[in-house]
Amino acid sequence: MTPPHFAFSATFILALTGLVFTRTHLLSALLCLEGMMSLFVALSLWALQLDITSFLASPLLLLAFSACEASTGLALLAATARTHGSDRLQSLNLLQC
Amino acid sequence: MNPYVLATLLFSLGLGTTLTFASSHWLLAWMGLEINTLAIIPLMAQHNHPRAIEATTKYFLTQATAAAMLLFASLTNAWLTGQWDIQLMSHPLPTTLASLALALKIGLAPLHTWLPEVLQGLDLPTGLILSTWQKLAPLTLLLQLQPMNSSLLIILGLTSTLIGGWGGLNQTQLRKILAYSSTAHLGWMVLVLQFAPSLTFLTLIIYLTMTFSTFLTFNLNNSTTINTLATSWAKAPVISSLAPLMLLSLGGLPPLTGFMPKWLILQELTKQDLAPAATLAALSALLSLYFYLRLSYAMALTMSPNNLTGTLPWRLLPSQHSLPLAISMTASLSLLPLTPALTALFTL
Repeated sequence: MTPPHFAFSATFILALTGLVFTRTHLLSALLCLEGMMSLFVALSLWALQLDITSFLASPLLLLAFSACEASTGLALLAATARTHGSDRLQSLNLLQC
Repeated sequence: MNPYVLATLLFSLGLGTTLTFASSHWLLAWMGLEINTLAIIPLMAQHNHPRAIEATTKYFLTQATAAAMLLFASLTNAWLTGQWDIQLMSHPLPTTLASLALALKIGLAPLHTWLPEVLQGLDLPTGLILSTWQKLAPLTLLLQLQPMNSSLLIILGLTSTLIGGWGGLNQTQLRKILAYSSTAHLGWMVLVLQFAPSLTFLTLIIYLTMTFSTFLTFNLNNSTTINTLATSWAKAPVISSLAPLMLLSLGGLPPLTGFMPKWLILQELTKQDLAPAATLAALSALLSLYFYLRLSYAMALTMSPNNLTGTLPWRLLPSQHSLPLAISMTASLSLLPLTPALTALFTL
């Protein structure tokens, strides 16, 4: 496994672990979701390493969709704060069995 | 909702799924899945009450995680093999990771825990879109993955059928029951994925028809719990006499349509020397059958004890179009004799 491959895999897995083990705040989950978009770096490195010029624009697409997703997450955070009073995950318990 | 906004969101939903259908590159498939997620979020949050927002937030988090995991799997595959083709994924690690990401997307056990709560927070039409349309794109990608690890899909399938059966037993809310039913049916679909993908496709279409008619029946009766379902005999008697048959079709009883996929899947599993898995799946169908039977019991076989005003609600003229319900109900009850034709029609 080459060093860049290891680097972005480790970044992604750390961010995924941070998302999965979020305990108190919704905002930290959203931050880890953004951390998972380190795949942007991975995609750019891949296109540069293998010298494939046709794929050099694909990190931009990834970035565009990641930005849309982040803004949706923030809108949902604001909506949660409006309806539940805070973004604490313990207050999201209305739908339990 | 503003009709222009609704039209834009539904169009985006269609666009996302079509994009994933038409793609052979992982990045385009990922973009289609993201468009689907982004388009359904406003639909889910339109009513703005706390349960809907909570359901939307939970849905967004799980789907975003699954999409990121899928992109990571395809990037790892690109670094290891140098190409992005969906059907040429030949390394076992990215394939397993992509299968797990897609399992999280559709709600297969053990990655199913978000589905009952999310479905519970939505109104019935949006829940219908979540249960039917949103399953199409990830299943398309699952169908195209070459299975490297044959036991992963079997374990996912068996766990889903068992948990879908056991989880639905203690529920009185109809939307949670339908969520567990969705998990169980997806388990059946994933069991035969690597042996006979055309059976997965057939099971998917039949599951879509049956779930469509179930959701529309519950929407017509405006009922979301078993208690309110029990008074539906006074509101729409014809529907209340056909709905138990439709629920038993969901459970997979012959001579109704729902028996067809289970029969063909058990036959295929036995041919592949997986008789213990087939037995376990068949026994787990009994669990789901129990709660479908409980629903039909409450709906048509008993009259629940109620006061006089509760037993005779106003029977108003139906304001909804009932043609889709009529078509899907007929299809979900009487298509078993057409098994050879449907098997030939839905081949991949």
